[in-house]
Amino acid sequence: MAKASPRWQRLPPFLVLAAVAATTIYPLAFVAMTSFRPKPDYLRNPYGIPSSLSFDNYVKLIVNYDVLRAGTNSLIVISVALIVTLIFATLAAYAIVKLNLPFKSVFAGGFVSVMLVPGQVLIIPVYLLLSMLRLVDSLPGLMAVYIATNIPFDVFFMITVLRGVPDALIEAAKIDGASPLRILVSIVVPVARTGIVTLGILTFLAMWNELIFGLILLPTEAHNVLTSKMASIGGRFVSNQPILMSGLMITSLPPVLVLTFLSRYLIEGITSGMGK
Amino acid sequence: MIATSSQNLTKASRPGTSLGASTTTIGRGESLLALAAVTPAAAFVLLLLIVPIIAAFGISFFKTDGVTAQFVGLQNYVRIFTDPLVHAVLLVNLEFLIAVPLVLGSATLCGVLLYERVLGWRMFRVIFFIPSVLSTAVIGLMFKSTFSYDGPVNALITAAGGHPISFFSAPATGIAIIILALVWSGFGYGTLIILAGLSSIEREIFEAAEIDGAGWWQRLWWITLPQITGVLVFVSVINVIYTFTSLFGFVFVMTAGGPGYSTTTLDYLIYQKAFSSADMGSGSALAIIVFLLIGLLTLLQVKLVRPQEV
Repeated sequence: MAKASPRWQRLPPFLVLAAVAATTIYPLAFVAMTSFRPKPDYLRNPYGIPSSLSFDNYVKLIVNYDVLRAGTNSLIVISVALIVTLIFATLAAYAIVKLNLPFKSVFAGGFVSVMLVPGQVLIIPVYLLLSMLRLVDSLPGLMAVYIATNIPFDVFFMITVLRGVPDALIEAAKIDGASPLRILVSIVVPVARTGIVTLGILTFLAMWNELIFGLILLPTEAHNVLTSKMASIGGRFVSNQPILMSGLMITSLPPVLVLTFLSRYLIEGITSGMGK
Repeated sequence: MIATSSQNLTKASRPGTSLGASTTTIGRGESLLALAAVTPAAAFVLLLLIVPIIAAFGISFFKTDGVTAQFVGLQNYVRIFTDPLVHAVLLVNLEFLIAVPLVLGSATLCGVLLYERVLGWRMFRVIFFIPSVLSTAVIGLMFKSTFSYDGPVNALITAAGGHPISFFSAPATGIAIIILALVWSGFGYGTLIILAGLSSIEREIFEAAEIDGAGWWQRLWWITLPQITGVLVFVSVINVIYTFTSLFGFVFVMTAGGPGYSTTTLDYLIYQKAFSSADMGSGSALAIIVFLLIGLLTLLQVKLVRPQEV
């Protein structure tokens, strides 16, 4: 808490922040409202109050462009990749922080040093590798890539989280004869759960918003994931804004829901996990 | 859990007698277990990150479309360094750097004001962060349709008696709109980081300054900002890196690099070379150059920002 200044002194900062918030909220509200308007009504007056609202745009988009299938593909790829990534990253960080891992600094340094490898270095060789393995245009191929590209940051993050788990708790369980795996499952994970939830959210967002691997690794219509699909078909709707807006709404819904209900974890994680 | 610990109670009491021998066997078992725990993560990283990086380096010495390959030595690199198109694209990338001071400025403004803990600051914090959780594809399409020829902005211009502007047919306006999208989507993250940096300043410093009669602006300029230099540098460098790695989504949905190559960025050019022109060797060479550039920037960031300041 900064010191409490008199109420009137706080008005100018509030007004500035409210103005900035409006520039964030207004475009989003515009997208939301337009997505429920019939096209003629929208064209008559884009900024006006809609005369009628309906789900027609959503229905048209879903029926004509197989959006549900793309959404299902996204959920399949991400739920598998997310769970596997979190488990592998937690195991690796546990070995690095709490167990007697040989070559500890090699592993820790290795994960951290590949953390900032930009995606564009990987697209060509990963594409060639997966096509050799016949994993292009198959959901498991994209899952594997999402797991691999998210593991470095997730291990790094989990190392920070697990450092916060008191060694005394683990020593006590060891004296009770608990095995390292049992200690991980019954003590470390429950104590570190806030950190794990935060990491789960960050990883989910990274996977949901990923674009380029989705585009090149799942090129056929039946295997498209949602974000990549919207990116590639979005340009067709520039003359039909209400339909485009309904697509943007569907694609943004999961991240916005996550932010709405879990913002506490997310914002805490970003401001504390920042200590890179 | 309780069952296990009582079960193992008898076992646990035993090692005490021959402590030395049993800790080494426990130690060895634990080491093996630790290796087993780190292996899945390490295997994925090795197979799908490290091997590909090495492969990208190798591919960059070949002329290949992914099916046939011919060794050409350094030719791809020589071509890139002498190619006027690459120079032009690099310049486009540098133009996008205009976004960095804009993000830094707006994030600092919002961070400093949020730090005053005005009414609703927690809500503002979440609102500013909304664009950061959306994909660049969604944000790009939003801006594209907003500024499209028959979009809402042109509807306003027409209503005011002007002529509609074709924003994406001119390089300058195209770049300006992508920069706008970049700032809109990125300032919230910067704000959070700056706010976190501010919160770690000792409050006594402000109180002392106030007792000395320093006004709000004086405190901001002489105390607040100098205290968070490290954080400001961090936000700047992160955003410089973004302009080299994260413009793909915006460019892909908004302009496809056009008109001509006037909004093509390095990351989009790599994608185009590889997947439109099937020129994977040259694409890899370019990717390696971008990789080294980003590595350099990251190193700079690590050198400039002491961890405790962040």
